[in-house]
Amino acid sequence: MAEEIGSTRESLAYNPGRETVHADPKTGEPEVFLEPLLWGLFSLGGFITAFLFPITVFLLFLAPVFGLWPTDPAAYVTFAAHWREPLVRLFFFALIGGSLFHGTHRLKFMLVDAGLKGPGIEAALDIILNAVAIVGTLGALYYAVRGWLFV
Amino acid sequence: MREFGGVVSAVYGLIFLNLLRTLRAGESAYTAFVGMMRTPPILYVNLVLFVLLMWHAVTWFMLIGKAQPIQFTERPLSWKAVFGVNVLLWIGVSGAVVYLIFGGF
Repeated sequence: MAEEIGSTRESLAYNPGRETVHADPKTGEPEVFLEPLLWGLFSLGGFITAFLFPITVFLLFLAPVFGLWPTDPAAYVTFAAHWREPLVRLFFFALIGGSLFHGTHRLKFMLVDAGLKGPGIEAALDIILNAVAIVGTLGALYYAVRGWLFV
Repeated sequence: MREFGGVVSAVYGLIFLNLLRTLRAGESAYTAFVGMMRTPPILYVNLVLFVLLMWHAVTWFMLIGKAQPIQFTERPLSWKAVFGVNVLLWIGVSGAVVYLIFGGF
């Protein structure tokens, strides 16, 4: 089925990255679920980190100190007032969750490349780093909904 | 260095999590934490980490067009065109963050 679709659509002369994918699973192999999910969260976190982090760090920790911004967005009164808005809470939840899943996934492969190899070590890294990402994200969710959905 | 920039983002994720914790704890805890983040030694570390974050963002946008060619016509868009569009988007999104999240100037 996949080959039929591929043969009818693969008429373009130059078509990199669009080779026919055999979607039918081979019998007897366990279904892979967690790995693609973690890579997906890594990729989503990469986009969130790239688009949103530089401006946020700049405004909160750098610009007011160097006199590059007329106000101080991190001042308690200002930040606490903005924090009442659901969009701001959603923003920081996405920022924290995305960065944690992106960064911990990246750190795992940096450590593996540095020599921490082997099934046992990699499993331990998976557990520890994903636990950091999951707990951190749940923590961000807790702070985001506390005071809004419950006291 | 790009990979390290990705790890730096997780460090900032934990810093922002602590920022929310201190916000919940009250004004004195929050002000003390923000003040600590702006003391000279940590401020310089922040500067270095910020450069790494910027490098991570720029190289991420450079990668998009290479890792996943975007094809509207017979040939996919060049990675440089995709990079340019992403940088424009980045500027737009940053402006939106300034106004929608931090209340503008």
